[in-house]
Amino acid sequence: MKHLNWLLLLLCAPLLAAPDGKALYEDNCSVCHHSRGEGGIGLPLTDEILSQVSDDYIAKTIRHGRPGRIMPSFEALSPAQVKAIVRYVRSWSGKPGPVFKTAKLKGDAKLGKPLYEKNCVRCHGKDGSGEGPGTGVTMSRERTFMVMPAALNNRGFQQSASDAMIHDIILSGRKVGGMPSFKSKLSDQEISHVVAYLRTLKPPVIRQGMEEWRGKPAYIMESPYDFDTTVENVKQALTGANFRIFPQRYLEQGLADEFSVNTRQVSIRFCNFKELYHLLNIDPRLGTVLPCRINVIERDGKVLVISANVAQLATLFNNQELSEVGVLMEEVILAVMEEATL
Amino acid sequence: MKILAGICLMLALMLPAQADQKLVMARSHAKAQHVMDVLKETLPEYGYSVAHVQRCDGGMAEFHYKSDFYRVVFFGKLEEVRRILADHPEMSPYLPLKIAVIAENDETVLAAMDPRALGAFFPDDKKLQLQFARWYNDIQAMLDEMRQLKKK
Repeated sequence: MKHLNWLLLLLCAPLLAAPDGKALYEDNCSVCHHSRGEGGIGLPLTDEILSQVSDDYIAKTIRHGRPGRIMPSFEALSPAQVKAIVRYVRSWSGKPGPVFKTAKLKGDAKLGKPLYEKNCVRCHGKDGSGEGPGTGVTMSRERTFMVMPAALNNRGFQQSASDAMIHDIILSGRKVGGMPSFKSKLSDQEISHVVAYLRTLKPPVIRQGMEEWRGKPAYIMESPYDFDTTVENVKQALTGANFRIFPQRYLEQGLADEFSVNTRQVSIRFCNFKELYHLLNIDPRLGTVLPCRINVIERDGKVLVISANVAQLATLFNNQELSEVGVLMEEVILAVMEEATL
Repeated sequence: MKILAGICLMLALMLPAQADQKLVMARSHAKAQHVMDVLKETLPEYGYSVAHVQRCDGGMAEFHYKSDFYRVVFFGKLEEVRRILADHPEMSPYLPLKIAVIAENDETVLAAMDPRALGAFFPDDKKLQLQFARWYNDIQAMLDEMRQLKKK
Protein backbone atom coordinates (compact mmCIF):
# COMPACT_ATOMS: atom_id res chain seq x y z
CA MET A 1 0.00 0.00 0.00
CA LYS A 2 2.85 2.30 0.96
CA HIS A 3 4.51 1.60 -2.38
CA LEU A 4 1.27 2.28 -4.24
CA ASN A 5 0.95 5.68 -2.54
CA TRP A 6 4.46 6.59 -3.58
CA LEU A 7 3.76 5.42 -7.11
CA LEU A 8 0.58 7.50 -7.30
CA LEU A 9 2.42 10.51 -5.93
CA LEU A 10 5.13 10.00 -8.52
CA LEU A 11 2.60 9.76 -11.34
CA CYS A 12 0.62 12.78 -10.15
CA ALA A 13 3.60 15.02 -9.45
CA PRO A 14 3.73 16.47 -12.98
CA LEU A 15 0.03 17.32 -12.74
CA LEU A 16 0.53 19.29 -9.53
CA ALA A 17 3.55 21.28 -10.68
CA ALA A 18 3.16 24.58 -12.53
CA PRO A 19 3.34 23.93 -16.27
CA ASP A 20 6.71 24.58 -17.87
CA GLY A 21 6.05 26.59 -21.06
CA LYS A 22 9.46 25.89 -22.56
CA ALA A 23 9.14 22.14 -22.08
CA LEU A 24 5.58 22.17 -23.41
CA TYR A 25 6.64 24.19 -26.44
CA GLU A 26 9.52 21.79 -27.12
CA ASP A 27 7.24 18.76 -26.77
CA ASN A 28 4.33 20.04 -28.81
CA CYS A 29 5.35 22.92 -31.07
CA SER A 30 9.07 22.91 -31.86
CA VAL A 31 8.90 20.03 -34.32
CA CYS A 32 6.95 22.23 -36.76
CA HIS A 33 7.67 25.81 -35.62
CA HIS A 34 11.35 25.13 -34.80
CA SER A 35 13.18 25.76 -31.53
CA ARG A 36 12.52 29.49 -31.34
CA GLY A 37 9.83 29.99 -33.93
CA GLU A 38 12.08 29.95 -36.98
CA GLY A 39 9.40 27.94 -38.80
CA GLY A 40 9.65 24.73 -40.77
CA ILE A 41 6.69 22.51 -41.46
CA GLY A 42 4.76 25.15 -39.55
CA LEU A 43 4.52 28.91 -39.75
CA PRO A 44 7.50 30.99 -38.56
CA LEU A 45 6.62 32.81 -35.34
CA THR A 46 8.57 35.96 -36.09
CA ASP A 47 8.72 39.05 -33.86
CA GLU A 48 6.60 40.91 -36.41
CA ILE A 49 3.88 38.27 -36.50
CA LEU A 50 3.84 37.91 -32.71
CA SER A 51 3.64 41.69 -32.29
CA GLN A 52 0.44 41.69 -34.36
CA VAL A 53 -1.49 38.97 -32.57
CA SER A 54 -2.93 38.85 -29.08
CA ASP A 55 -2.28 36.23 -26.43
CA ASP A 56 -5.91 35.25 -26.79
CA TYR A 57 -5.40 34.61 -30.52
CA ILE A 58 -2.35 32.40 -29.88
CA ALA A 59 -4.17 30.49 -27.15
CA LYS A 60 -7.22 29.91 -29.34
CA THR A 61 -5.02 28.89 -32.26
CA ILE A 62 -3.34 26.28 -30.06
CA ARG A 63 -6.74 25.12 -28.86
CA HIS A 64 -8.55 25.00 -32.22
CA GLY A 65 -5.66 24.46 -34.65
CA ARG A 66 -6.28 24.96 -38.35
CA PRO A 67 -8.45 22.17 -39.71
CA GLY A 68 -7.03 20.98 -43.02
CA ARG A 69 -3.96 23.26 -42.76
CA ILE A 70 -1.53 21.00 -40.86
CA MET A 71 -1.73 22.74 -37.45
CA PRO A 72 -3.56 20.28 -35.18
CA SER A 73 -5.84 21.29 -32.34
CA PHE A 74 -4.39 20.70 -28.89
CA GLU A 75 -7.62 20.16 -27.04
CA ALA A 76 -6.09 17.97 -24.35
CA LEU A 77 -3.77 20.73 -23.11
CA SER A 78 -5.13 22.42 -19.99
CA PRO A 79 -5.77 26.20 -19.99
CA ALA A 80 -2.75 26.59 -17.68
CA GLN A 81 -0.55 24.66 -20.12
CA VAL A 82 -1.70 26.76 -23.09
CA LYS A 83 -1.08 29.91 -21.07
CA ALA A 84 2.43 28.68 -20.22
CA ILE A 85 3.22 28.10 -23.91
CA VAL A 86 1.98 31.61 -24.80
CA ARG A 87 4.10 33.06 -21.97
CA TYR A 88 7.16 31.19 -23.25
CA VAL A 89 6.65 32.36 -26.85
CA ARG A 90 6.30 35.95 -25.58
CA SER A 91 9.54 35.60 -23.64
CA TRP A 92 11.51 35.51 -26.91
CA SER A 93 11.02 39.21 -27.50
CA GLY A 94 10.25 40.13 -23.89
CA LYS A 95 7.40 42.30 -25.12
CA PRO A 96 3.75 41.76 -24.23
CA GLY A 97 1.31 41.08 -27.05
CA PRO A 98 -1.31 43.59 -28.14
CA VAL A 99 -4.77 43.45 -26.64
CA PHE A 100 -7.78 43.87 -28.93
CA LYS A 101 -11.40 44.61 -28.22
CA THR A 102 -13.54 41.53 -28.58
CA ALA A 103 -16.64 43.36 -29.82
CA LYS A 104 -17.65 42.80 -33.45
CA LEU A 105 -16.91 45.68 -35.81
CA LYS A 106 -19.79 47.35 -37.51
CA GLY A 107 -19.29 46.55 -41.18
CA ASP A 108 -21.41 45.57 -44.14
CA ALA A 109 -20.34 42.33 -45.86
CA LYS A 110 -22.03 43.41 -49.12
CA LEU A 111 -19.86 46.52 -49.23
CA GLY A 112 -16.82 44.51 -48.15
CA LYS A 113 -17.06 41.96 -50.99
CA PRO A 114 -15.94 44.26 -53.86
CA LEU A 115 -13.20 45.71 -51.65
CA TYR A 116 -11.96 42.20 -50.84
CA GLU A 117 -12.06 41.22 -54.52
CA LYS A 118 -10.09 44.31 -55.50
CA ASN A 119 -7.45 44.25 -52.76
CA CYS A 120 -7.14 40.79 -51.21
CA VAL A 121 -8.19 38.11 -53.68
CA ARG A 122 -4.85 37.94 -55.52
CA CYS A 123 -3.10 36.47 -52.47
CA HIS A 124 -5.88 35.07 -50.30
CA GLY A 125 -7.95 33.63 -53.14
CA LYS A 126 -11.58 34.18 -54.04
CA ASP A 127 -12.84 31.85 -51.33
CA GLY A 128 -10.19 32.98 -48.78
CA SER A 129 -8.31 29.66 -48.84
CA GLY A 130 -4.92 31.33 -49.30
CA GLU A 131 -2.88 30.85 -52.44
CA GLY A 132 -0.06 28.47 -53.21
CA PRO A 133 0.46 24.87 -52.21
CA GLY A 134 1.60 23.66 -48.82
CA THR A 135 2.70 25.60 -45.81
CA GLY A 136 5.89 26.28 -43.91
CA VAL A 137 9.40 26.53 -45.29
CA THR A 138 10.62 22.96 -45.42
CA MET A 139 12.18 20.96 -48.27
CA SER A 140 12.61 22.73 -51.57
CA ARG A 141 10.27 25.61 -50.76
CA GLU A 142 11.61 29.06 -51.47
CA ARG A 143 12.99 29.87 -48.03
CA THR A 144 12.88 33.63 -48.50
CA PHE A 145 9.10 33.50 -48.93
CA MET A 146 8.45 32.55 -45.38
CA VAL A 147 4.74 32.89 -44.87
CA MET A 148 1.98 31.66 -47.13
CA PRO A 149 -1.08 33.92 -47.27
CA ALA A 150 -3.42 32.97 -44.42
CA ALA A 151 -6.47 30.81 -45.05
CA LEU A 152 -9.03 33.38 -43.96
CA ASN A 153 -11.92 30.98 -44.46
CA ASN A 154 -10.43 28.43 -42.07
CA ARG A 155 -12.64 27.60 -39.11
CA GLY A 156 -9.67 27.76 -36.72
CA PHE A 157 -8.68 31.22 -37.94
CA GLN A 158 -12.24 32.50 -37.74
CA GLN A 159 -12.57 31.22 -34.17
CA SER A 160 -9.23 32.66 -33.07
CA ALA A 161 -8.99 36.09 -34.68
CA SER A 162 -11.06 38.97 -33.36
CA ASP A 163 -12.45 41.56 -35.79
CA ALA A 164 -10.23 44.22 -34.25
CA MET A 165 -7.10 42.11 -34.74
CA ILE A 166 -7.86 41.46 -38.43
CA HIS A 167 -8.62 45.16 -38.85
CA ASP A 168 -5.27 46.05 -37.33
CA ILE A 169 -3.31 43.65 -39.59
CA ILE A 170 -5.02 45.00 -42.73
CA LEU A 171 -4.09 48.47 -41.59
CA SER A 172 -0.43 47.72 -40.86
CA GLY A 173 0.34 44.92 -43.35
CA ARG A 174 2.81 42.12 -42.73
CA LYS A 175 6.31 42.47 -44.15
CA VAL A 176 7.31 38.82 -43.68
CA GLY A 177 4.53 37.58 -45.96
CA GLY A 178 4.68 40.47 -48.41
CA MET A 179 1.31 41.86 -47.31
CA PRO A 180 1.16 45.63 -47.90
CA SER A 181 -0.34 48.15 -45.51
CA PHE A 182 -3.78 49.34 -46.61
CA LYS A 183 -3.60 52.44 -44.42
CA SER A 184 -3.57 54.83 -47.38
CA LYS A 185 -5.91 52.74 -49.56
CA LEU A 186 -8.83 51.89 -47.30
CA SER A 187 -10.61 53.89 -44.64
CA ASP A 188 -11.34 52.46 -41.19
CA GLN A 189 -14.95 51.92 -42.19
CA GLU A 190 -13.99 50.19 -45.45
CA ILE A 191 -11.70 47.84 -43.55
CA SER A 192 -14.61 47.04 -41.24
CA HIS A 193 -16.66 46.14 -44.32
CA VAL A 194 -13.86 43.82 -45.51
CA VAL A 195 -13.74 42.17 -42.07
CA ALA A 196 -17.52 41.66 -42.18
CA TYR A 197 -17.13 40.01 -45.59
CA LEU A 198 -14.32 37.74 -44.32
CA ARG A 199 -16.73 36.46 -41.69
CA THR A 200 -19.00 35.13 -44.46
CA LEU A 201 -16.27 33.01 -46.10
CA LYS A 202 -16.77 29.28 -45.72
CA PRO A 203 -14.12 26.54 -45.76
CA PRO A 204 -14.06 24.30 -48.84
CA VAL A 205 -15.87 20.98 -48.75
CA ILE A 206 -13.25 18.21 -48.85
CA ARG A 207 -14.00 15.22 -51.05
CA GLN A 208 -14.07 11.89 -49.29
CA GLY A 209 -12.97 8.49 -50.48
CA MET A 210 -15.39 5.95 -51.95
CA GLU A 211 -18.17 5.03 -49.58
CA GLU A 212 -17.68 1.26 -49.83
CA TRP A 213 -14.10 1.57 -48.56
CA ARG A 214 -14.66 4.16 -45.84
CA GLY A 215 -13.73 3.01 -42.34
CA LYS A 216 -11.56 0.20 -43.71
CA PRO A 217 -7.78 0.16 -43.27
CA ALA A 218 -7.06 -1.38 -46.67
CA TYR A 219 -8.42 -2.22 -50.09
CA ILE A 220 -8.50 -6.00 -50.51
CA MET A 221 -9.30 -7.92 -53.68
CA GLU A 222 -9.13 -11.66 -54.24
CA SER A 223 -7.26 -12.66 -57.36
CA PRO A 224 -8.56 -15.45 -59.62
CA TYR A 225 -4.95 -16.09 -60.71
CA ASP A 226 -2.12 -17.97 -59.02
CA PHE A 227 0.36 -16.08 -56.84
CA ASP A 228 3.11 -15.52 -59.43
CA THR A 229 0.70 -14.50 -62.18
CA THR A 230 -0.98 -12.04 -59.82
CA VAL A 231 2.36 -10.45 -58.94
CA GLU A 232 3.16 -10.01 -62.63
CA ASN A 233 -0.33 -8.63 -63.30
CA VAL A 234 0.07 -6.00 -60.57
CA LYS A 235 3.45 -4.94 -61.98
CA GLN A 236 2.07 -4.65 -65.49
CA ALA A 237 -0.92 -2.64 -64.34
CA LEU A 238 1.35 -0.28 -62.38
CA THR A 239 3.64 0.22 -65.37
CA GLY A 240 0.57 0.96 -67.47
CA ALA A 241 -0.41 3.62 -64.93
CA ASN A 242 3.01 5.31 -65.36
CA PHE A 243 4.58 4.22 -62.10
CA ARG A 244 8.20 3.25 -61.66
CA ILE A 245 8.46 -0.09 -59.85
CA PHE A 246 11.19 -0.78 -57.32
CA PRO A 247 12.67 -4.27 -56.88
CA GLN A 248 10.02 -6.24 -55.03
CA ARG A 249 10.53 -7.30 -51.43
CA TYR A 250 9.09 -10.00 -49.26
CA LEU A 251 7.02 -8.52 -46.48
CA GLU A 252 9.21 -10.20 -43.88
CA GLN A 253 12.48 -9.39 -45.65
CA GLY A 254 15.04 -7.99 -43.24
CA LEU A 255 13.10 -9.39 -40.28
CA ALA A 256 13.43 -13.10 -41.09
CA ASP A 257 16.50 -14.91 -42.44
CA GLU A 258 16.52 -16.05 -46.05
CA PHE A 259 15.58 -19.63 -45.14
CA SER A 260 12.49 -18.84 -43.09
CA VAL A 261 11.17 -15.75 -44.87
CA ASN A 262 7.63 -16.19 -46.18
CA THR A 263 8.02 -15.97 -49.96
CA ARG A 264 4.26 -15.92 -50.51
CA GLN A 265 3.93 -12.42 -49.12
CA VAL A 266 5.32 -9.91 -51.58
CA SER A 267 5.39 -6.13 -51.42
CA ILE A 268 5.40 -4.38 -54.80
CA ARG A 269 6.64 -0.85 -54.23
CA PHE A 270 6.04 1.87 -56.78
CA CYS A 271 6.43 5.59 -57.25
CA ASN A 272 5.93 8.47 -59.62
CA PHE A 273 8.82 10.75 -58.66
CA LYS A 274 7.37 13.87 -60.25
CA GLU A 275 4.21 13.47 -58.19
CA LEU A 276 6.18 12.51 -55.09
CA TYR A 277 8.33 15.61 -55.33
CA HIS A 278 5.23 17.76 -55.68
CA LEU A 279 3.57 16.05 -52.71
CA LEU A 280 6.62 16.33 -50.47
CA ASN A 281 6.54 20.06 -51.08
CA ILE A 282 2.93 20.11 -49.93
CA ASP A 283 3.78 18.11 -46.81
CA PRO A 284 7.28 16.78 -46.07
CA ARG A 285 5.91 14.35 -43.49
CA LEU A 286 4.49 12.20 -46.25
CA GLY A 287 7.41 9.80 -45.78
CA THR A 288 5.54 8.28 -42.85
CA VAL A 289 3.32 6.48 -45.37
CA LEU A 290 5.84 5.97 -48.18
CA PRO A 291 6.52 4.23 -50.44
CA CYS A 292 3.28 3.37 -52.21
CA ARG A 293 2.95 -0.37 -52.31
CA ILE A 294 0.59 -3.14 -53.19
CA ASN A 295 1.00 -6.43 -51.36
CA VAL A 296 0.21 -9.84 -52.78
CA ILE A 297 -0.39 -12.45 -50.10
CA GLU A 298 -1.23 -16.13 -50.43
CA ARG A 299 -3.15 -17.62 -47.52
CA ASP A 300 -5.53 -20.56 -47.15
CA GLY A 301 -5.33 -21.25 -50.89
CA LYS A 302 -6.42 -17.69 -51.76
CA VAL A 303 -4.35 -14.97 -53.40
CA LEU A 304 -5.13 -11.51 -51.98
CA VAL A 305 -4.12 -8.15 -53.44
CA ILE A 306 -3.93 -5.53 -50.70
CA SER A 307 -3.17 -1.81 -50.54
CA ALA A 308 -3.47 0.72 -47.75
CA ASN A 309 -6.64 2.78 -47.92
CA VAL A 310 -4.89 5.89 -49.21
CA ALA A 311 -7.94 8.12 -48.94
CA GLN A 312 -8.07 7.36 -45.21
CA LEU A 313 -4.29 7.52 -44.79
CA ALA A 314 -4.13 10.98 -46.33
CA THR A 315 -6.39 12.32 -43.58
CA LEU A 316 -3.65 11.62 -41.00
CA PHE A 317 -1.88 14.81 -41.97
CA ASN A 318 -4.64 17.38 -41.37
CA ASN A 319 -3.73 18.77 -44.76
CA GLN A 320 -6.64 19.31 -47.13
CA GLU A 321 -4.40 19.29 -50.20
CA LEU A 322 -3.11 15.85 -49.30
CA SER A 323 -6.63 14.66 -48.51
CA GLU A 324 -7.67 15.62 -52.05
CA VAL A 325 -4.66 13.77 -53.48
CA GLY A 326 -5.55 10.72 -51.36
CA VAL A 327 -8.99 10.58 -52.98
CA LEU A 328 -7.44 10.79 -56.46
CA MET A 329 -4.84 8.13 -55.60
CA GLU A 330 -7.62 5.86 -54.36
CA GLU A 331 -9.12 5.80 -57.86
CA VAL A 332 -5.73 5.03 -59.43
CA ILE A 333 -4.82 2.25 -57.01
CA LEU A 334 -8.23 0.60 -57.18
CA ALA A 335 -8.04 0.71 -61.00
CA VAL A 336 -4.61 -1.01 -60.86
CA MET A 337 -5.89 -3.65 -58.44
CA GLU A 338 -8.99 -4.30 -60.55
CA GLU A 339 -6.93 -4.61 -63.70
CA ALA A 340 -4.59 -7.08 -62.00
CA THR A 341 -7.40 -9.27 -60.73
CA LEU A 342 -9.79 -9.03 -63.71
CA MET B 1 9.03 -3.11 -12.90
CA LYS B 2 6.38 -5.12 -14.76
CA ILE B 3 3.65 -3.32 -12.80
CA LEU B 4 5.12 0.06 -13.72
CA ALA B 5 5.29 -0.93 -17.39
CA GLY B 6 1.67 -2.07 -17.18
CA ILE B 7 0.61 1.24 -15.62
CA CYS B 8 2.43 3.17 -18.36
CA LEU B 9 0.69 1.11 -21.01
CA MET B 10 -2.68 1.65 -19.35
CA LEU B 11 -2.03 5.38 -19.25
CA ALA B 12 -1.15 5.36 -22.94
CA LEU B 13 -4.48 3.71 -23.64
CA MET B 14 -6.47 5.98 -21.33
CA LEU B 15 -4.93 9.35 -22.00
CA PRO B 16 -5.95 11.18 -25.13
CA ALA B 17 -3.15 12.38 -27.38
CA GLN B 18 -2.28 16.00 -26.63
CA ALA B 19 -2.93 16.97 -30.23
CA ASP B 20 -5.64 15.65 -32.49
CA GLN B 21 -3.07 14.75 -35.11
CA LYS B 22 -2.32 11.16 -35.88
CA LEU B 23 1.42 11.45 -36.32
CA VAL B 24 4.16 11.06 -33.74
CA MET B 25 6.85 13.66 -34.37
CA ALA B 26 10.03 15.01 -32.82
CA ARG B 27 12.76 17.48 -33.64
CA SER B 28 16.39 16.61 -33.00
CA HIS B 29 19.12 19.25 -32.92
CA ALA B 30 21.54 16.71 -34.37
CA LYS B 31 22.19 16.33 -38.11
CA ALA B 32 20.14 13.82 -40.03
CA GLN B 33 22.93 11.32 -40.74
CA HIS B 34 23.84 11.17 -37.05
CA VAL B 35 20.19 10.77 -36.04
CA MET B 36 19.85 8.02 -38.61
CA ASP B 37 22.89 6.17 -37.23
CA VAL B 38 21.68 6.45 -33.62
CA LEU B 39 18.13 5.43 -34.54
CA LYS B 40 19.44 2.27 -36.18
CA GLU B 41 21.28 1.46 -32.94
CA THR B 42 18.29 2.35 -30.77
CA LEU B 43 15.71 0.18 -32.54
CA PRO B 44 17.33 -3.15 -31.45
CA GLU B 45 17.43 -1.86 -27.86
CA TYR B 46 13.63 -1.84 -28.00
CA GLY B 47 13.58 -5.34 -29.49
CA TYR B 48 13.04 -4.33 -33.13
CA SER B 49 15.02 -5.33 -36.20
CA VAL B 50 15.72 -2.81 -38.92
CA ALA B 51 14.14 -4.39 -42.01
CA HIS B 52 15.55 -1.86 -44.46
CA VAL B 53 16.12 1.81 -45.13
CA GLN B 54 14.47 3.56 -48.08
CA ARG B 55 16.47 6.45 -49.55
CA CYS B 56 13.73 8.77 -50.79
CA ASP B 57 16.24 11.54 -51.53
CA GLY B 58 18.35 9.15 -53.63
CA GLY B 59 15.34 8.10 -55.70
CA MET B 60 14.37 11.70 -56.34
CA ALA B 61 17.94 12.74 -57.18
CA GLU B 62 18.02 9.98 -59.80
CA PHE B 63 15.21 11.85 -61.50
CA HIS B 64 16.87 15.25 -61.04
CA TYR B 65 14.62 16.40 -58.19
CA LYS B 66 16.54 18.27 -55.51
CA SER B 67 15.87 17.13 -51.98
CA ASP B 68 17.44 17.29 -48.54
CA PHE B 69 18.37 14.09 -46.67
CA TYR B 70 15.20 12.03 -46.53
CA ARG B 71 15.10 8.42 -45.39
CA VAL B 72 12.43 6.03 -44.22
CA VAL B 73 13.46 3.34 -41.73
CA PHE B 74 11.37 0.15 -41.71
CA PHE B 75 11.44 -1.91 -38.54
CA GLY B 76 9.53 -4.63 -36.77
CA LYS B 77 9.48 -7.79 -34.69
CA LEU B 78 9.06 -10.90 -36.83
CA GLU B 79 6.79 -12.74 -34.39
CA GLU B 80 4.49 -9.73 -34.05
CA VAL B 81 4.27 -9.29 -37.81
CA ARG B 82 3.45 -12.97 -38.31
CA ARG B 83 0.91 -13.09 -35.49
CA ILE B 84 -0.94 -10.01 -36.68
CA LEU B 85 -0.96 -10.91 -40.38
CA ALA B 86 -2.30 -14.38 -39.57
CA ASP B 87 -5.51 -12.77 -38.30
CA HIS B 88 -5.46 -9.46 -40.17
CA PRO B 89 -3.98 -9.52 -43.69
CA GLU B 90 -5.47 -6.04 -44.10
CA MET B 91 -2.75 -4.85 -41.69
CA SER B 92 -0.03 -5.80 -44.20
CA PRO B 93 0.27 -2.30 -45.74
CA TYR B 94 1.19 -0.95 -42.29
CA LEU B 95 3.91 -3.49 -41.55
CA PRO B 96 6.80 -3.30 -40.93
CA LEU B 97 6.45 -0.06 -38.99
CA LYS B 98 8.36 2.97 -40.24
CA ILE B 99 9.88 6.26 -39.18
CA ALA B 100 10.73 9.05 -41.63
CA VAL B 101 14.00 10.92 -40.99
CA ILE B 102 13.93 14.34 -42.65
CA ALA B 103 16.73 16.91 -42.66
CA GLU B 104 15.77 20.50 -41.93
CA ASN B 105 18.97 22.45 -42.48
CA ASP B 106 21.27 21.31 -39.65
CA GLU B 107 18.49 19.74 -37.64
CA THR B 108 16.28 16.71 -38.13
CA VAL B 109 12.57 16.06 -38.02
CA LEU B 110 11.39 12.54 -37.28
CA ALA B 111 7.84 11.50 -38.06
CA ALA B 112 5.88 8.29 -37.78
CA MET B 113 2.26 7.39 -38.06
CA ASP B 114 0.66 7.08 -34.61
CA PRO B 115 -0.26 3.36 -34.61
CA ARG B 116 -3.21 4.17 -32.35
CA ALA B 117 -4.79 5.89 -35.36
CA LEU B 118 -5.34 2.39 -36.76
CA GLY B 119 -7.44 1.56 -33.70
CA ALA B 120 -10.46 3.23 -35.30
CA PHE B 121 -10.50 0.48 -37.93
CA PHE B 122 -10.63 -2.27 -35.30
CA PRO B 123 -12.89 -0.88 -32.55
CA ASP B 124 -13.74 -4.29 -31.07
CA ASP B 125 -10.31 -5.88 -31.14
CA LYS B 126 -8.83 -5.25 -27.71
CA LYS B 127 -5.66 -7.22 -28.47
CA LEU B 128 -4.89 -5.05 -31.47
CA GLN B 129 -5.68 -1.87 -29.53
CA LEU B 130 -3.16 -2.94 -26.92
CA GLN B 131 -0.61 -3.72 -29.63
CA PHE B 132 -1.12 -0.26 -31.18
CA ALA B 133 -0.60 1.35 -27.76
CA ARG B 134 2.61 -0.66 -27.26
CA TRP B 135 3.95 0.44 -30.62
CA TYR B 136 3.03 4.03 -29.87
CA ASN B 137 4.88 3.88 -26.54
CA ASP B 138 7.98 2.46 -28.19
CA ILE B 139 7.98 4.96 -31.07
CA GLN B 140 7.39 7.86 -28.69
CA ALA B 141 10.21 6.68 -26.40
CA MET B 142 12.64 6.25 -29.30
CA LEU B 143 11.76 9.66 -30.72
CA ASP B 144 12.27 11.16 -27.27
CA GLU B 145 15.76 9.67 -27.29
CA MET B 146 16.46 11.25 -30.69
CA ARG B 147 15.19 14.56 -29.33
CA GLN B 148 17.79 14.41 -26.57
CA LEU B 149 20.71 14.04 -29.02
CA LYS B 150 23.19 16.87 -28.87
CA LYS B 151 24.02 19.04 -31.86
CA LYS B 152 26.73 17.28 -33.85
